[in-house]
Amino acid sequence: MAQGSGFTPLSERRPAPALVLPDMDDKAWNLAELRGRVVVVNFWATWCPPCRREFPSLERLQKHFPPKDLQVIAVNVGEDVDTIFAFTGTPAIPVLLDQDAKAMTSWRVGGLPSTYVIDRDGSIILRALGGREFDDPASLAQLGAVIAR
Amino acid sequence: MENTPAGWPKRPRAFLLAGLFSWLLMPAAGQADEPPAPLSVEAHGLVLKVTPLSAEQKTAFYLARGFTTAEIEPYARACGFSFSLENREQPLLRYRLANWSVEAEGRVRRFVLPSDWDREWERRGLGASPRIAFRWAQFPAEQEFARGDWIMGMASLLERPAGPLRILARIDLGEQTLELPIDSLFCAPLD
Repeated sequence: MAQGSGFTPLSERRPAPALVLPDMDDKAWNLAELRGRVVVVNFWATWCPPCRREFPSLERLQKHFPPKDLQVIAVNVGEDVDTIFAFTGTPAIPVLLDQDAKAMTSWRVGGLPSTYVIDRDGSIILRALGGREFDDPASLAQLGAVIAR
Repeated sequence: MENTPAGWPKRPRAFLLAGLFSWLLMPAAGQADEPPAPLSVEAHGLVLKVTPLSAEQKTAFYLARGFTTAEIEPYARACGFSFSLENREQPLLRYRLANWSVEAEGRVRRFVLPSDWDREWERRGLGASPRIAFRWAQFPAEQEFARGDWIMGMASLLERPAGPLRILARIDLGEQTLELPIDSLFCAPLD
């Protein structure tokens, strides 16, 4: 199955649910503290083939934009640090640990991978279900437009 | 077992006997050495692929996700498939796995939903980690797809019909319901 392309605009903006989780170094991340930046939140797991395939493109995406404009966050569901590290090594983006899948539930994630784009005001405006190449021209153009707003 | 879904075996021994009986009845076509090939259907810009999963494949996957061999055995012995569904053209589509049917041996069956399996895992006292992995590796019980979205996951029947199966996937396109049939499927071999 080929990776998809680009994001889908949501018909209605909705506030992003809370996201407060530790990363692989046990540093706490709080989505609310990233208000003012565009944030890409990707839910994934190492056992999910399209998640594994798209993960490097998330790291490449972060290199296209300075973190003050766009922050990429990967939220791993249900796995421990050793399992994640065996796949990511030292990742170029923060990998947060949703070990009890409560964030997945509160975000109403329906399947893996799922990716959401949150605008500077904290609203979800774009979504992608299934694997993508996040540094493809379509995705970069959409994200560039969100940053420019 | 008040929370067990309809058709769920009432006793593990009965379940094992049912599985053994089904294995004995499996047709030669289902016992080929080669892994079963995926079957697919494409219509209205949707692509649905189905691949029978062997007990060995399912067991190996879930042993690596925190299950023991005994814990995953009921699922491994069930008739299971890997699905992928891709929306290439439709503006929006929805499905509910509960509305999909499987016809075999003159009967219509439904797939076991992830929540049904989870109730069984909870009843058996499984920990959170394997249950989470199981839940998210299953084909979602319901989903909404925009153009370009796609998803994959596993789904299974409780029984192992011996004859060929016909899966009828029902997809809601808004003003119409599309029925995607996949014929001539077999449950993958148990061994």
